[in-house]
Amino acid sequence: MTTTPSTTSPALPVDEAARLAAVHRYGALETAPDRAFDRIASLAARIFGAPMATVAIVDSDRIWFRAAHGLAGATHTDRVPGLCASAVLHGGPYVVTDARTDSRTRGNPLVEGDPGVRFYAAAPLTTARGHCLGAVDVLDTRPRRPTAAQLDSLQDLAALVMDELESRLSTVRTITAERERRTEAERLARALQRTLLPPALPEVPGLRAAAAYHTASTHEVGGDFYDLFPLDDGRWAFFIGDVCGKGADAAALTSLTRYTLRAAAIYDPDPCAALANLDLVLKGEYQGGDPRYCTAVFGVLDPLSDGSFGVTLAGGGHPPALALRADGTVQPISTMGGQLVGMLPDPRFVRTTTRLSAGESLLLYTDGLTEARTPDGGMLGEEGLVRYLAANAVGAGGDPQHALLGCVETLLEDLGRGVSDDTALMALSVPAHPETALQENR
Amino acid sequence: MTEPAHLTVTPRRVTSGAFLLEVTGELDYHTSTLLTEAVNEAPFSDESVIIDLSGLTYCDSTGISVLITAYNRSRAASSRLSLTGVSPDQMRVFELIGLDQVFSFYATPEEAASAGRP
Repeated sequence: MTTTPSTTSPALPVDEAARLAAVHRYGALETAPDRAFDRIASLAARIFGAPMATVAIVDSDRIWFRAAHGLAGATHTDRVPGLCASAVLHGGPYVVTDARTDSRTRGNPLVEGDPGVRFYAAAPLTTARGHCLGAVDVLDTRPRRPTAAQLDSLQDLAALVMDELESRLSTVRTITAERERRTEAERLARALQRTLLPPALPEVPGLRAAAAYHTASTHEVGGDFYDLFPLDDGRWAFFIGDVCGKGADAAALTSLTRYTLRAAAIYDPDPCAALANLDLVLKGEYQGGDPRYCTAVFGVLDPLSDGSFGVTLAGGGHPPALALRADGTVQPISTMGGQLVGMLPDPRFVRTTTRLSAGESLLLYTDGLTEARTPDGGMLGEEGLVRYLAANAVGAGGDPQHALLGCVETLLEDLGRGVSDDTALMALSVPAHPETALQENR
Repeated sequence: MTEPAHLTVTPRRVTSGAFLLEVTGELDYHTSTLLTEAVNEAPFSDESVIIDLSGLTYCDSTGISVLITAYNRSRAASSRLSLTGVSPDQMRVFELIGLDQVFSFYATPEEAASAGRP
């Protein structure tokens, strides 16, 4: 048993700042009721046959009861020397057998006022690094002499409280680390995603082009891609597609696919040839091991003298593009029969042509959109998308570009969690009034 | 974290010369290894292989790539591969990506087995 000189000013541990930091680090000042600590306090009281016991944490100027047995709802007391405030200065148990005759407790309000404490025994709550957070203590209004066994039990109870605080701290640390790791993974996935898509679409004279990427999952990189770029003969090429799989492997495949298609277009801009070229590259790259495929639509835009655009499309297993006609109809530009790219021995790609006149648009999308679940549980499907566009996107007046992409984005928002896969969108529109287009494209 | 999806692949011999893989559950990125292993162990060079998908509840692009791997193995071994019990929804996906032109489809494994007999 240690004794300490009686002082009237609160004696502080040498490393009080470090001790307080530990109190906060352990979340020891949490105020929510705590059944584990309540049990420990009542067990302490029972072991001593005493009316009062607490699990107390010593803050800078107050002592907070994390649990209090027999103290009529008291939550805290001032940090005044004599009882708990003195107990935290000791390495081992701190015992006052009769506060009325003990100089250390002189002036303590719990001794001199209500409830008139005469007996006090405490076992400190000491961290692995030796910081004392508080104590498990027992109080009585009668003087008493505790047995060694009772003091041993009190120390065991303090060790139990410390174990509990250590385990909670470790849980908090694990959760925090996991959260940080996940945030970092999300950040990386998004950064990677951005590098796989063109930062902005180029301006095509007489045409308005817009694209959007809708991410279904924040922590898994999907494999959708698109691009729009000039050919060296005044025409433009574009593509949209979707690689199989998710994550880093899919991202690598997406990157390979996008650069292969751009290079293929320089070599031979025929849409079927571009897909055939991609097919050879993917087969060469993923030979043996883990075969991969993608689906894609590759197209060439030919600006015609009347302001319209001739469109040649080739499809490799990709959902049909949809043309929004000037008369308000929605027409699928099907490349049905075209096969997926990169895995089949001798794939077939299907070519088709169409023309976009003033006031008409072409919507290209990936199957994240058509495979989205509607509120009734079914898939939206191509038919559902056509119906939606016919009802909402055409005849919205003036600006088909804005109407189209805005309309699809509204649809994606409405479908919400029904959209379970990434979705890429590209809209190509010939403005109804060509002079406006020129101005806005300048 | 979501629960890992559940998939079972049961190998069975329908008749002599017809080897069946019954696929039940969700075939996706997380479960497809199970079918990949079964396909790798299937006796393509000795028998015709049937993959029954009537118990399939979900199939993503990774699942489809395993089915194409099976097709490529059967081609390399000059043997037959049939898919049976394909749901209308799944068939629409096969049509979209051009796989309806690749596989032979039958309603049941028994039908596929008898169609395969010389």
